[in-house]
Amino acid sequence: MSTSDISRRGFLAGTAAIGLSGILGGCVGSGGSTDGGGGGGDASPSGPITLQSSAADPKPKAALKAVVDAFQGAETTINTVAVENFRAQLPTYLTSSNPPDVLTWYAGSVARDYASEGLLLDVSDLWEGDGACAGFSDALRDLSSTEDGSQIFVPTHYYWWGVFHRTSAFDEWGVQAPETWEDFLALCEMLRGRGIVPLTMGTGSTPWVASGWFDYLNLRINGPEYHLELLSGEHSFDSAEVRAVMTEYAKLIPFIDPNGRSYSWQEAVTPLVQNEAAMYLMGAFFTQSVPSDVVDDIDFFRVPIIDESLPVAEEAPTDGYFAASGTDNAAGAKELMSHLAAPDSQQTYVSKAGGAYLPTSPEVDTSGFSPMVQKGIQLLEESDRLTQFFNRDSSDELQTTADAALTRFLDQPDQVDDILSQWQQAAEQVFQA
Amino acid sequence: MPPLVWLFLLVPLGIELAWVFWPALNSFSLSFSRWNGVGAAEPVGLDNYQRMFDDPIVRTAVQNTVIWTIGFGGASVLIGLSLAVALNRPRRGVGIYRSAIYLPMVFSLAVTGLFWRVLYQPDGSINTALEGIGLDGVARQWLADPDTALYAVLVAAVWRQVGYIMVLYLAGLKGCDPTLEEAAAVDGASAWQRFRHVVFPQLRSVNTVIFAVTVIDSLRTFDIVWAMTRGGPYNSSQLLSTYMFEQGFTSLNLGYSSALAVVIFLLAIGFIITYLVRATRED
Repeated sequence: MSTSDISRRGFLAGTAAIGLSGILGGCVGSGGSTDGGGGGGDASPSGPITLQSSAADPKPKAALKAVVDAFQGAETTINTVAVENFRAQLPTYLTSSNPPDVLTWYAGSVARDYASEGLLLDVSDLWEGDGACAGFSDALRDLSSTEDGSQIFVPTHYYWWGVFHRTSAFDEWGVQAPETWEDFLALCEMLRGRGIVPLTMGTGSTPWVASGWFDYLNLRINGPEYHLELLSGEHSFDSAEVRAVMTEYAKLIPFIDPNGRSYSWQEAVTPLVQNEAAMYLMGAFFTQSVPSDVVDDIDFFRVPIIDESLPVAEEAPTDGYFAASGTDNAAGAKELMSHLAAPDSQQTYVSKAGGAYLPTSPEVDTSGFSPMVQKGIQLLEESDRLTQFFNRDSSDELQTTADAALTRFLDQPDQVDDILSQWQQAAEQVFQA
Repeated sequence: MPPLVWLFLLVPLGIELAWVFWPALNSFSLSFSRWNGVGAAEPVGLDNYQRMFDDPIVRTAVQNTVIWTIGFGGASVLIGLSLAVALNRPRRGVGIYRSAIYLPMVFSLAVTGLFWRVLYQPDGSINTALEGIGLDGVARQWLADPDTALYAVLVAAVWRQVGYIMVLYLAGLKGCDPTLEEAAAVDGASAWQRFRHVVFPQLRSVNTVIFAVTVIDSLRTFDIVWAMTRGGPYNSSQLLSTYMFEQGFTSLNLGYSSALAVVIFLLAIGFIITYLVRATRED
């Protein structure tokens, strides 16, 4: 016993020291990040790089690994974190004294907020001269820029939204993709009469899916300008314009699979694949949940135009990378981001990630992509305006207000007045915070 | 006492202070501020507490927390105690029953939630069984219906908890003096009278433990609700704990969510202290 005493005591003392150092540490919320830069820039330009990734689904995860394996620069470790935790931890990652160097996330309002706090690395040089992003479209440049015009984001892929269906099922039922909103409603009515669920939608554990139709109807009825202003708090959700959107949305409710209220978006794919449901308004990424022998049978059409006078807008959420300003290897981080944005890397990622993603680089040869992806590219090229999605164009906090309002609306469409006034109250709380 | 004992006491105390009490104290100071996790927290006085009074979701969450505490505590204690009494006497196969009832306790709450989520699916076992016995009208989307979501989760949580309560009561029953019950039987007391007036009073110390455990467990309930409904549909199954999490980690309102955490803490500590004071006074 006595021989082991010393080592045990040493161990305990050490443990106590660790505990005490925690007590002496800083207070949370006191903004200790000001000294977080740790000398910033080029303290050890050749140090290893950490890539914090939210791509936790198997196929995108494997695709990202393949891309990073081909990176010739600094040694890179990928840390994959499930997207829910990633979102919650993001401020902690960015403000920690030793942040991950490069992080996956999306462009738009969230990235801009972090940039205004000085937490994101300025990557404007990648967008100039022969930088990796120099040839990207102006729309992508705008999306990746802060208010003062510097770029803080490297977009690498995006996708489109559409009404997806099985070609073979449409042939079997003898129906065609509708051109107008009236045709679309008539098609739904006809399918329902034949015992087929017209629309599948999983709003159980993924209630944000209900915002898909809201976004599109608002874009089609009130236009993209109004939509983006609404999401930034300039209009009321309790307004005649939003009420008009809900009136159209109410027409869809009888056509939506009632069981979808218990499903996630992934589970809602099953009725479509089994020909029990006909159509699915979704992002093209959903094909990663479609069995591989059915993927080639999937086609889509544009959400029909309702008001011809409005510019045609489509949702095209863009994913990519930003770097923490506190990185101790800014040069290495930029090198990695250049690699991730390079045409070859984008090609690898898009071909392995499973979902129907589109590359952001115009240099990627898309001729080998499937006909559906070609059609997706064409859809976005023919659009006047691209939006992101409800949460990306506003905030995750406003998204939770939309989730509550829209899932309740799906259950109780006759309570629309109450729902919209509560939604507006909740939204005001968000914009005040 | 030898100095080594103090060391053994001080080390866990140090760790507890650093990793439990210090963060807990921080959440008190955060509750008077507005903070999104980035930069410095902005002091806002009592705004967060003010906001709670006007927040309709907090009202639902408080109501649900009360329903939850009573339902979860009541059901698991009643069922757990009945099972313990029924399975107290040695009988053939009693071990199998005890193990089977205790078994759900080995699953984490998140796993329990996922498992029950499958049972509650629109075409899941529960609806299939109801339709099988002709109760089609009762079948519904248990977790997607705001009238049933909270209770559906409650059933799953109680299913897991009864085994634990049963084991605690079994241990308590083992400590009861069998001669007292025999004497009462000889005096002509019925089975209910023997239980109510002879056995149950002897379980007082176990009851204190179980009350504390149940109140704490029900106020900190989070994972099973989050795994099954995330507080939905449209916030109808929101508890204070899930709403606190949503505000803190989905919306990043760390100030407001700390204020909710403080309220949960005060409720828990209030309950426990009142109960302990009353329990010790009776002794």
